[in-house]
Amino acid sequence: MSDNAESPTETQKDEPSTPQQPTEDSGMADDKKKIDVLLKAVGDTPIMKTKKWSVEKGRTVQSLSQFISRFLKMEANEQLFIYVNQSFSPSPDQEVGVLFQCFGSDGKLVLHYCKSQAWG
Amino acid sequence: MSSCFLDEETFCQCCQLLLQHSHSLCDGWSWEQVKGSEEGYLRKTALGTGRTRCNLDQQGNSSDQHQERTFSLSFHNDDDDDDEDDGAVCCIQEESSSSSVVQYEYHILYSCSYQTPVLYFRASTLEGRSLCLEEVWDSVHPNYRQRLQHRPWDTITQQEHPLLGQSFFVLHPCRTEEFMMPVLKAALEEHRQVNYIVTWLSVVGPVVGLDVPLSYCTQVPEPPHTPSRSPQPPPALHSPQP
Repeated sequence: MSDNAESPTETQKDEPSTPQQPTEDSGMADDKKKIDVLLKAVGDTPIMKTKKWSVEKGRTVQSLSQFISRFLKMEANEQLFIYVNQSFSPSPDQEVGVLFQCFGSDGKLVLHYCKSQAWG
Repeated sequence: MSSCFLDEETFCQCCQLLLQHSHSLCDGWSWEQVKGSEEGYLRKTALGTGRTRCNLDQQGNSSDQHQERTFSLSFHNDDDDDDEDDGAVCCIQEESSSSSVVQYEYHILYSCSYQTPVLYFRASTLEGRSLCLEEVWDSVHPNYRQRLQHRPWDTITQQEHPLLGQSFFVLHPCRTEEFMMPVLKAALEEHRQVNYIVTWLSVVGPVVGLDVPLSYCTQVPEPPHTPSRSPQPPPALHSPQP
C-alpha cells in the first residue's frame, strides 16, 4: 500500500496553548481527528528521541511501523514488531484510531516496539 | 527468566480457548484430531487476496494454466537464403502477476522440536490451482514483504505436513521466541498470563493473510495458571510422525 506521505506530528507537550492539545474530555473525543500515541522501545531496540506523537485516526499500523522504521534507520533485513498492551501485535491494516478506542488510556495509546531479525 | 517455550498441554489449552471464541464469532476455526492419536491441530479456511501469475489468451481472459504461447516468426533473408531457416518458432511464456482471490487453508500445529506453534498453510486459486512458492512470497503482506524478500527461503518454504503428509507452505518457527519474548517478559513482570496462541497468531497471521479480529486479543482468556516450571531445553531428537 502506498505510504502516507505525512508523518505523524510531534506532540507539543511543552506548550499547552498550541492547537494540538492532546488531552480533552472524552465527550469531545469524536471531534478529534488525531490520537496521541506513546512509543516505547523494548529490549535493545533504540529509543526514539521523540516518544509522543499525534497520529491521524485513520492511519494504519503499517504506516506507523514504516515511519518508526525510517526514523530508526532500520536495515532491509530488520523487521519491526509493534505490541499493544504488551500482549498482542495489531494487524498492519488496523487503524490506530480503533486501537485507541479499545486500548487507549489516559488519553493516549501506548505502543511498544521491538526491532528484530526474525525469520532469518 | 520466562521461558519462551510452549509445552504441548498448554498449546492444547490455548487452542481450545481460542476455539471457543471462534465459535462465538463464527470465525471458522476447528480442531482436527489425528485418528488414533492425542495430537490435533487448529484448522481454518478463508478467502483472501494474493498475487498470482496468470496468462492472458487472445481475448485477454486469464487462464490458470501455465501455457506457453507459441509464436511463429518468419525470417526473410534476402541476402542469403541457403543457411537461414524460413521460419523459426519462438516460445514465449507470458506471465503477469495480479491481485486475485485466493483460497487459504491454515493449520496451527505444535512443534516438539521448537516447542512452539507452527503455521502451515495451503493456497490455491478459485479454480483449484495451487499457488507456487514464488506466488506465496509475492502474496505476503506488504508490511513484511521487504524483509521476506531479503531472505525468502528462511521465512516461507514448502514442507511436508507432519500429520497429513501433504505438501504445505510453512512459516518458519525458528525465531518465534524473538517476537514472543517481549510479551512473555512483560507478562511475567506484571504477574499476568497471556494466551500464547493468540499472541503468536496476532503476529504471524497477518503475514500470510490470516485476519485475527481484535476481540481475540481481549476476549480469549489465558490458560489455567500452572506452577512455574524451569525452562526446558527442546528435546534433542524430533520424534518421527507415524
